[in-house]
Parts: sequence; structure tokens; C-alpha cells
Amino acid sequence: MIVEILLTWLALTLYAVSTVLVVVGVVFSNSRFTSWSVIAAAIGAVLQTVSFGVRWVRLGHGPYLGFYEVAGSLVLFAVATFVVVAWRNPRLAPAGIGIMPVALLLLGGSMLAQGEVVEMTAKLTSWWLILHVAFANLAFGAFVVSFGCAIVYLVRARSVDGKWAKRFEKLPVQEVLENLTVRFALLGFLFWGIMIATGSIWANEAWGRYWGWDPIETWCLVVWIIYAVYLHVRFTLKWTGVRLAWFAIIAMPLSLFALVGIPLVFNTPHAGIGGLGKDL
Amino acid sequence: MIGAAWRRLVALLRSPRFATVLLLVLSGWAIVGGIVPQGTATNSDVMAWAAAHPAVERYARAVNLHQAFTNPLFFALVVLLGISTALCAWERTKVALRRSATLHSAARSDAASVEARHDIEIVCDPSLSAPEAMAMAAETVERLGIKVRAQDGALVSVSQRWTAWGSPLFHWALLGLLVALFVGNAFRAEGLMGVAVGQTVPDARASYGVVTNGLLRNWSGVHRSVRVDAFEPDYTLGGVDRGPTPTVTVLDANGKAIKTQRVYPNNTLKTGGLTIYPNAFGLAARGSIVDASGKVLGSGFQIIDFSQEASGGTVAVGGFYVPNSKGEAVYDAQVSVSLERDAGGWIQSMPAQPAARVVVVSRDGSTVLDRVVRKGEIVSLPGSQSFRLDDIVYYARLQVVDDWTIPLLYAVLVVALVGLSIATLARQQIVLATVVESPNEVRFLVRVRLWRNAPTTRSELQDELTRALGGNQKGSMT
Ligand code: HEM
Repeated sequence: MIVEILLTWLALTLYAVSTVLVVVGVVFSNSRFTSWSVIAAAIGAVLQTVSFGVRWVRLGHGPYLGFYEVAGSLVLFAVATFVVVAWRNPRLAPAGIGIMPVALLLLGGSMLAQGEVVEMTAKLTSWWLILHVAFANLAFGAFVVSFGCAIVYLVRARSVDGKWAKRFEKLPVQEVLENLTVRFALLGFLFWGIMIATGSIWANEAWGRYWGWDPIETWCLVVWIIYAVYLHVRFTLKWTGVRLAWFAIIAMPLSLFALVGIPLVFNTPHAGIGGLGKDL
Repeated sequence: MIGAAWRRLVALLRSPRFATVLLLVLSGWAIVGGIVPQGTATNSDVMAWAAAHPAVERYARAVNLHQAFTNPLFFALVVLLGISTALCAWERTKVALRRSATLHSAARSDAASVEARHDIEIVCDPSLSAPEAMAMAAETVERLGIKVRAQDGALVSVSQRWTAWGSPLFHWALLGLLVALFVGNAFRAEGLMGVAVGQTVPDARASYGVVTNGLLRNWSGVHRSVRVDAFEPDYTLGGVDRGPTPTVTVLDANGKAIKTQRVYPNNTLKTGGLTIYPNAFGLAARGSIVDASGKVLGSGFQIIDFSQEASGGTVAVGGFYVPNSKGEAVYDAQVSVSLERDAGGWIQSMPAQPAARVVVVSRDGSTVLDRVVRKGEIVSLPGSQSFRLDDIVYYARLQVVDDWTIPLLYAVLVVALVGLSIATLARQQIVLATVVESPNEVRFLVRVRLWRNAPTTRSELQDELTRALGGNQKGSMT
């Protein structure tokens, strides 16, 4: 237990360090700081993974039950997606300025809210659950990277005196960055779709109905449709530029709300997410 | 006149703006439907909400927002989306046909065909030879993430033809999904049926306590029945408590067992379109009416539900009737069972020594018998008949869903996701380049189409090539 907590705190600290480094790197146009920020994020993600591993052994189930585990996994997947993207394409490292603060706040929040442990039940014992949760995490990772790219795009586009544009000059040109924002949104849309499909198959297996308009189901569909609208305005109405970036920026928090916010507001059987342990 | 209106309607339904607005309206509708409590006007949540928000409730009721997802307005929006998706899928199919033909012919390009049709023309640095220009260009394009191969004097990177089919496949599958959901709901039946251990109940509408079914559901075509063979209040498997678990058999019209299994979460009984899931459980009493000679006039099960509020912790649901010699009901009998208690209230399981309280009421409402009876005990009723308590057992309340479209639904989902994966991950691009040498200049020509998921943009490609070849752009043609 102590090791697990210690490792999570260390991961949180490294995410904080990564956030500071990326901000400094961008503000002072120093790419060394930006690269270090990716390294700090990577080490943080490794430590968080180990912490979850220790917890997995202790509790006998993966990190997908209860607010702490669910929000923590979302953070882990978002950071890991970002690290892989920045490693494959180092020019994108400054996009961490839109991603690491989200990771930091969400992990911090989940540690503060750490509720009681949710035990495995008959309804949760299913491979569909694993797929369902994995794709929820992957989708969120993609949405957060899309969000990060859109933030950087917007900051650059809004830089009237060119100062901020200069700070981000190492990033790919705006057009490429915009394409990346859209591609990650599309990837997230695919994963979100798989999350909904596996979730409804699981619901049918677990409790004999594939769709029940439960608040989380409804909100997940809403988020999926909203990203479909985003993709349509891009591909069919040919939106580009600042308003397209704003769309990506507004859509991501909706996905976060659907994943961790709903149980705080609505009564839902999706206790895995809220950690409220209802009806499972 | 009608033709023009029809054309305008089709144009509207096919327009991307209409589709986008429709999707937005649907998401708005779903958000509101998620916030406003759902149910009939007598549902307690709905009533509480209506009392708390009288001003909004007027409008909510006007558009039947409390039944947002079964509402005709919602249905109409979904139908519109379906029509619009069909028209768009058709458009996407035409685009994919054109694209795949273009990809097919581009894959066989050579230097001459690029020279004949290109979009970018760069005059190279005079010091570069043609082979040097080709090599540098290949390196530049690959650095931007596009792998090229040399083919008949040209550099070629052309996606496979199938990459063009992701989007139409996805849109057609979405339409298929809407149709499958629609058909499924029209034929579907879903209900709760109480079956006691040892009891066999026909799968007929009357056997359900609560049931909903689609408009096209035909009950008379169903001839199977459902039996509960056993019940384990705490079934444990693999270290996980699976909860109260009945063993259920589905029988065909001749009473032959089709399938038998324990049903618990993630292990529903499935046969054909039928899915059986344990929803709840309680107790049941099996009793018989016996005449003076000991002949059984009739037997039946009485379902007994747990209730913390009721005296004894159970309430009888329905009841027996006691017939006269002509089979007419003369008395109603009701059986309840007293549970054991602990500090938390009534313990909702079979008591160690089950006994039933039998209340027999005549048709005029007067009680003719009220006493506690043990298993196997016979008590005399007024007249020559007696009541025998045969057994007290568990009953399982089964959720029975009959929907043959579910496998179809899964299949369409898979197709949709395959289409979407192609649209998301596969590149759709053409990059063809060649170099043309004339006595006084070396020109580099590029034909480019970056339709989907390309790692670069056309302007980036053009700028980088111009920089690498040290030349100037002769303008680009589209
Ligand atoms: C049923 C709801 C719909 C959803 C969830 C949806 C979703 C999507 C998604 C995710 C994309 C991007 C991926 C791809 O290219 O396939 C897309 C593209 C597109 N959609 Fe839809 N769509 C829907 C209905 C429609 C309708 C009704 C139209 C008619 C206007 C339409 C027209 C298009 C077009 C033209 C594209 C661009 C394809 C391209 O540029 O390659 N979609 N849609």
C-alpha cells in the first residue's frame, strides 16, 4: 500500500515537473526544456504504471473500478499517448502545454477523491469490460492529444505580435498541426465507437439489454455524435482555422464529463466509473 | 412543380449542412432527455420533477420529453437521419468508385503520364543532374513520411484501392445499424416472468408480469416454454459470488429440452433470439386443492415476493382459487411465508423451517380460514375440500428478451467499425513525380492528391521540394 501511494505521488510530481518544463520551454523558446518535459512525463507514466501494477496484485483486478482508478487510467493513457506521439515526432513536444496540465489536475483530483475500493462482482467479471475500459482510455488519450494540438494552434493563431508564434516555431506549420488535431479526433472517435460497441455487447451479456438510455450511455452517445459533428464540419463543411480548433477544445471536456463527471451528477449503474458501487 | 419540390427535398436531405444540423439537434435532444427524468406521468421521479419545475414541465409535457427516446418526434428525427445517411452513403460510394479508379490507374503511372498530368512544377538548380534531382526528391518526400518507389522513370506512392472504401462502408453500416435497431424493436418482446423451481411456464404474453413488445411481434407463433430446475441463492464460481442463480431450461413445443444452464450475470441463457437473465427472486408455495376422496382437483404455484415493509417479510402475488365441482371459483386462497429476522430486518432467503400462512376468503369477502400450515400438511376448507401445502421453494423472476436481430446488430457494428478503421487509419494519397531534362533546364514534376490521413500537406510538400531541389517554382497547376 505504501509503495503504491509513494509511486503515485512520485508520478504526480513528475507530471508537475513536466508541466513546468514544457511551459518554461515554450515561453523561453528552449527546446531542451520541452524535450526534458517529455522525459519527465514518460518516467511519471512508468511509475504510475508500476503503482497500478502493485494495486492490481493487491486487489486482484485492473485499474477500472472507482473514481481513483478510472481517472488515473485516463491520465496514464493520455500521457502515454502524448509521450509516444512526441517520441515519434519530436516537433510535437510543445503540444504538452495543452496536455500535461490536464493530466496533472485529473490525477491530483482523483487522488484527493480516492474513495473506497470497489470489489469485483459477477457483473464485472467479463472480457468485454476489459475491452470496454481499454478503449475508453485509448479514446480519451486521443482526444486529449487532439485538444493539446488545438490549444497550441489557437495560441499561435491568436498571437498578434507574433511572440507566441515564435515560441512555438519548432512545431509543424499550422496546417499540419490542424490535420493532426483532426486525425487524433478521428482516432478518438473510432476508439470511442469501439468503447460504445463493446459496452453495449457487455450490457447485453451482463444484464440482458444492450441499450437502456442510462445517463452514461446517453452522454457517451452525445460525445460520439458531437465528435461526428466536428468531423463533418471539417470534412464536409470545410471548416478550418480558429473555429475548428475551438470545437476540438470544447469537445474534449465533454468526453471527460461523460467518463468521470456523470456519476457525480446523475444516478447511474455505471458504478465502475463513479466508484459508487451501485447496483453491481 | 412536384418534381421540383421533390428535388429540393432530396437536395436538402443530402446536404452536409442538414446532416450536421440534424446530428447537433439529436445530441441536444439526448442531453435534454438525459437530464429530464424518464418515465410515464405516474412515475415518482417524473412527478417530483414536474412539481419542482412547473414552468418547464409545461413545455416538457408538450413534446413528451419524459419519454424522450420512445417519442414520435425523436423517432422522426432518427428516420430523417437514416434517409439522409442513405443519400450520403450513396454519394460516398460514387466518390469511392471514382477514387479507386483514379488510384488504380495512378498505380500504373510512368514518367510520360506524370509529364502529361501534373500539379506542381519546379525548375531545379542548374547544377543538379536529373538522377541527382530524383534522389534528393525521393529523400525529401520520405522525410515528410511518404515512402516512394521508382517505377518506369517516375517516383510513385499510391494507396491501395480499398483505402477509398472506408467512409462509404461506415456510412452504409450506420444506416444498417439504424434499420436493424428499428426492425429489432418492431419484433422484439421483453418482459419479466416469475417461475418457481419445478414449474414450467409457457412463453406466452399472459405468463409475464410486465411485458413490452414491438408492433410486429406475433405471440401466437411462439410455442416454447421455460422451466426452472433448481435455484442456488449464493452460487460461487472462480472465487466470485455470482448471486442468486437459477438453473433454467427452455423447452420446445413438444416439451423437449432445447437448452439448460445456470443463468447469472455474464452467463445469460441464449437460444435462437431468446436471452434469459435472472432479474430477481423470491419464494413460491405449491399447493393443491384435494376433494374428500383425496383426488387432486387442481394444483398451482403462488409467487411470494420479499418485502421489508410487509408483516412476516413477504407478500403474496396473485393467488389460488378453490373450485367447486363444476370448476367455478368459490374461494380465493393466498399463501405467504414468514421469514426469519435479524437486526437488519427480514432475512430474504428460505427460512430454516418454512411454514406458510394460508388465508382463504370466500367470494363475499369473509375469511373462512387463516392459519399457519407446514409443508405436506392438509387443512380442511368449508365444504368437502381441503388444501394441501405441497412445498415451499424459491422462484426466479426471469427477464426474457426475444430479439432475433441482436446477432445482426453485432455484425453491422463490426462492419461499421471496420469501415471507420479504414477511414481513420488508411491513407488515401497519390504522389507521382518525375524529372524532365531539356537542354537548358531540369524540371521536376509532381502529381499529388492527399485525400486522407496524409502525413503532410500539399503546400508543405511543395515548399520542401522547392527548397531541396534548390530551384524555383514555376507555379502550380491543379
Ligand atoms: C448517422 C450519423 C453519421 C455519423 C455518426 C457520421 C460520421 C462520420 C465520420 C466519423 C466521418 C469521418 C470519417 C469518414 O470519412 O468516414 C464522416 C465523414 C463524412 N460524412 Fe458522415 N456521419 C453520419 C451521417 C452522415 C450524413 C447524413 C451525411 C450526409 C451529408 C454524411 C456525410 C459525410 C461526408 C461527406 C463525409 C466526408 C468523407 C470524406 O471526406 O472522405 N454523414 N461521417
